[in-house]
Amino acid sequence: MSTPLRVMLIDDEPIVGKRLGPVLEKMGCQTETFVEPAVALNRLAEQEFDVVVTDIRMEEVDGIGVLERVKALSPRTKVIMITGYATLEVAHEALAKGAFDFIAKPFEPRDMRQAVAKAAEALGLQMPEAAALMVEEILLTEESGLPE
Amino acid sequence: MSLIAISADSYPQGLDIAQRTAAALGYGLLGRELLAQVAADRGLPQEQLVQALEETPGFFGMRTRRQQELLLHIQAACLERLLADNLVCYGLGAHLYLVGVSHALRVRVLAEPQQRAAELAALRGLPPERAAKLLERQDQERRRWSSQFFQADEMDPAQYDMVLSLGNLEPEKAVEIICDAAGYRKFQAMTYSRKCLQDKALAARVLAKLMPRFPDIRLQASDGTVVAQVQSLKRDQRKKQEAVRELASQVPGVSYVEVQVIRDYFGQAAQSGR
Repeated sequence: MSTPLRVMLIDDEPIVGKRLGPVLEKMGCQTETFVEPAVALNRLAEQEFDVVVTDIRMEEVDGIGVLERVKALSPRTKVIMITGYATLEVAHEALAKGAFDFIAKPFEPRDMRQAVAKAAEALGLQMPEAAALMVEEILLTEESGLPE
Repeated sequence: MSLIAISADSYPQGLDIAQRTAAALGYGLLGRELLAQVAADRGLPQEQLVQALEETPGFFGMRTRRQQELLLHIQAACLERLLADNLVCYGLGAHLYLVGVSHALRVRVLAEPQQRAAELAALRGLPPERAAKLLERQDQERRRWSSQFFQADEMDPAQYDMVLSLGNLEPEKAVEIICDAAGYRKFQAMTYSRKCLQDKALAARVLAKLMPRFPDIRLQASDGTVVAQVQSLKRDQRKKQEAVRELASQVPGVSYVEVQVIRDYFGQAAQSGR
C-alpha cells in the first residue's frame, strides 16, 4: 500500500491499546493510541484519520460523543465502536449516528482486522497486508474444520 | 445488507408481500421450501415439520416435546441460512427467534379482517359469521403457540419493528415501505449483529442435538463456547455432565462446553421416598 491507513485508537483501558495497536500495525496501519478521549479529540482537530476505533463507555467523553465529533470534523472517516456493554439499542444508536461498525468486547483480533479492512475498502483504499492476513485466517479456519 | 423477517396473519397475503419484497430488493427468499431440506438432512417427516409450525399443542395434537424438537431443527436450519445475509424470511417463525439481532427487520403484515374471513369462508365453505368466529379462535391459538415455544406473543405489535395493515395500504405501497426501512442504517449488518446471529445459530444446533435426550436443558452459546444448564439428581450429576459435554462437543463450531447442574429436588425427594 502506498500510503498507510491512518488509524486512531481510543480506549481508556490502556491494555486495549497495547493489545490492539500491534494487531493494526501488523496490518500495515499507522496507528495512534489514546487513553484520554479529550486528548484524542484535540488530535483529531489537527490530523485527519481514515479510521477511528473508539470505546463507548469512557468517563470524560463517551464513544458516541467521539463519533459525533469525528463525523463533524471528517465525514469520510470510518468509525468503529467497541464496547463491553453491547446491546441492540446501543448498536442501533451507534449505526444511526454514522458508525461504520460495532464490535462487542471481548473480540478476536481477526474481528478487528476484518472491520478495519472493510473500512479501508469502503474508503477505496487497498490493504495488501490485511488481505494476506485474511487469507491466512481463512486457511487456518478451513484446516480446523470450524466455521468462522 | 440486512435480513427481513415477515410474519402475517394471512399466510397467502404475507407470502405475496415477502415475494414482492425479495424481488424489489434483489434478495433471496427463504420460506417453507426449507422444510424439505430439513426433512431430508435430518431424517424428519416434512408434514410434521409443517404441523409443528402451524398447530397449537393440545390433547389430540403432537406432543409438546416433539413439537419443540421439530421447531428447533427448523430454527437451526433457518438461522444457518440467514447467516448469508440479504434474505427475506417468511413462514418459518424467524421473527420470533431473531430477537436481538440488530440487522433483522421484523415486519408484521395484517390482512384486511373481512378479506381474511372471506378467504377462510371460501376455503372451508362456511358462512361469514362462522368464519369470523373461527378466525378469532385461530388468532388465540397462534398466541398460545408463540407463547408456548418462544415465550412471546406473536400478535403483540411490540414484537416488531413495523406493523403494516393491508386494509389501509396497497401491497405495492407496503413493499415500498419495507424496502425503504431495510435501507435504514440501523438495520445494516455489523460485526456485533453477525456474531449475535452466529451465536443463536450455534445454540439452536446444540439444542436440537441435546433436547431429545435432555428435554429440560437450557443453554447459551458465545463464540464457540456453550454454557448448558441441566437438571440432575445428585448421584447422576457427573454422568449427566459428561454426557452433555460429549454430545454438545460433536456439534461443529463448538470449541468449549461448560455444564452447570441444577439440583433436581423433586426428583431427589421422589427417589428418597421410594
